[in-house]
Amino acid sequence: MVGGLKRKRSDLEEDEKWDWGPAGLRSYQQALLRISLDKVQRSLGPRAPSLRRHVLIQNTLQQLQAALCLAPAPALPPEPLFLGEEDFSLSATIGSILRELETSMDETETPQNPVAPVSPQNEVLPQPDPVFLEALSSQYLGDSGLDDFFLDIDTSTVEKEPALAAPEPPHSLFCAPGSWEWNELDHIMEIILGS
Amino acid sequence: MAGAGGGGCPAGGNDLQWCFSQVKGAIDEDVAEADIISTVEFNYSGDLLATGDKGGRVVIFQREQENKSRPHSRGEYNVYSTFQSHEPEFDYLKSLEIEEKINKIRWLPQQNAAHFLLSTNDDLRINLWHLEITDRSFNIVDIKPANMEELTEVITAAEFHPRQCNVFVYSSSKGTVRLCDMRSSALCDRHSKFFEEPEDPSSRSFFSEIISSISDVKFSHSGRYMMTRDYLSVKVWDLNMESRPVETHQVHEYLRSKLCSLYENDCIFDKFECCWNGSDSAIMTGSYNNFFRMFDRNTRRDVTLEASRENSKPRASLKPRKVCTGGKRKKDEISVDSLDFNKKILHTAWHPAENIIAVAATNNLYIFQDRIN
Repeated sequence: MVGGLKRKRSDLEEDEKWDWGPAGLRSYQQALLRISLDKVQRSLGPRAPSLRRHVLIQNTLQQLQAALCLAPAPALPPEPLFLGEEDFSLSATIGSILRELETSMDETETPQNPVAPVSPQNEVLPQPDPVFLEALSSQYLGDSGLDDFFLDIDTSTVEKEPALAAPEPPHSLFCAPGSWEWNELDHIMEIILGS
Repeated sequence: MAGAGGGGCPAGGNDLQWCFSQVKGAIDEDVAEADIISTVEFNYSGDLLATGDKGGRVVIFQREQENKSRPHSRGEYNVYSTFQSHEPEFDYLKSLEIEEKINKIRWLPQQNAAHFLLSTNDDLRINLWHLEITDRSFNIVDIKPANMEELTEVITAAEFHPRQCNVFVYSSSKGTVRLCDMRSSALCDRHSKFFEEPEDPSSRSFFSEIISSISDVKFSHSGRYMMTRDYLSVKVWDLNMESRPVETHQVHEYLRSKLCSLYENDCIFDKFECCWNGSDSAIMTGSYNNFFRMFDRNTRRDVTLEASRENSKPRASLKPRKVCTGGKRKKDEISVDSLDFNKKILHTAWHPAENIIAVAATNNLYIFQDRIN
């Protein structure tokens, strides 16, 4: 029944290990973003599904966008932490998403773990690229493919080098203790560890 | 009024023994889209039962007179009439086939002085029809924004008040209900009452709005309450209290941890309906795996039953079903991961006076009744 998540895992290399630090959280959010963007793309066209469904997906996408914008300053401690105690590196997410999209568009092998190569604790957090964030808005998706969109974005600042900053308690929707991720990610962890 | 549906008898789902009565429809493994039932409705007396399907076909069943030679079975429902509501059309300009799906059937109330009907097939408008004027309608609610890109909310259901013919409600994709009085203004863009439950911050997620979207709204027969169905629950509202529902019944709370998957496979957008029994003491709604749920408002008990061909022996009692939500699965329980999400019961109807229910399971119509004591 957890069909979507299982399919996602099967896309990844078999011996890959999921880490439940910020990388795992980002993967989950990326999956959600990917699913939403895919739905929006598929819903454009003459035989579009219902307006209600379209509006609900649009609103969900906007929430994702807002959450990415709200992600506070970076620097994650080097040790893997419990879910929810870490912060969320916006640049790492953007970088990961871009890398993965470029990879899938080139139709090369799927990366083992889209976020594994990133050292989350060492990222600088530049301001989120407004062009990228606008890409999340479905208004654009009808006009041009995702390809055109992301290739224009300069990712050089994202794949970056170290700067440590003091850890900050998370403010975003994602990381508040007791918020939804605990339940959802706990469940995901059960599935991964149990299988 | 005689019958188990009247006052004084426990008319809830749990004090009764539900038995299989009839099933209509083909047994094919591959179900054609056109044969999927999209609406089920008893008429005001319960003698007629109408179904509509996605192919535009309407079937009316009529209840047979009581059969003295078979006193244990109430009158059966047999086909009275079948007709095609409208033929599929092709829009040559857009090269689009226009769907002929029947969205809803409403029997005309026997004693409705107003003789009006609401139509809400459009997500953005509600139109009012007079029964004697069939070539035009009067628009009473219009939420279409000037710029469609600003649209963030749509109408999901609407219903007239059963006793006050000038009052109606409509629900939205954001989990709100507006009650409007047509005497206030011609265009009911201003509501008289606004029903919304405050969000619980501890359960907030990206899916909060989607699961709060109301898929059905039904007034109680008394007109004092209304019931709303969202993805995980049914809520009963007192029309005099807008701030929160007076009752919340969980339909399948075990799905809350599966919302990501349900979002991905689109099940989260399924629109379940709900219904009251004749005395308003019980409510019923559908779920997945061909399960449907009944809630007794007096005893606060609930039961899960299944519509399946395996339990289709005449007068066979329906055995309550249970979903295992964690820990060791007991015998006869079904685990959440084993549920069939393609078998969904979206449409159910309860006889207005007796304990007879009609349950639509994809292309089959099941009729159940309580065992006569």
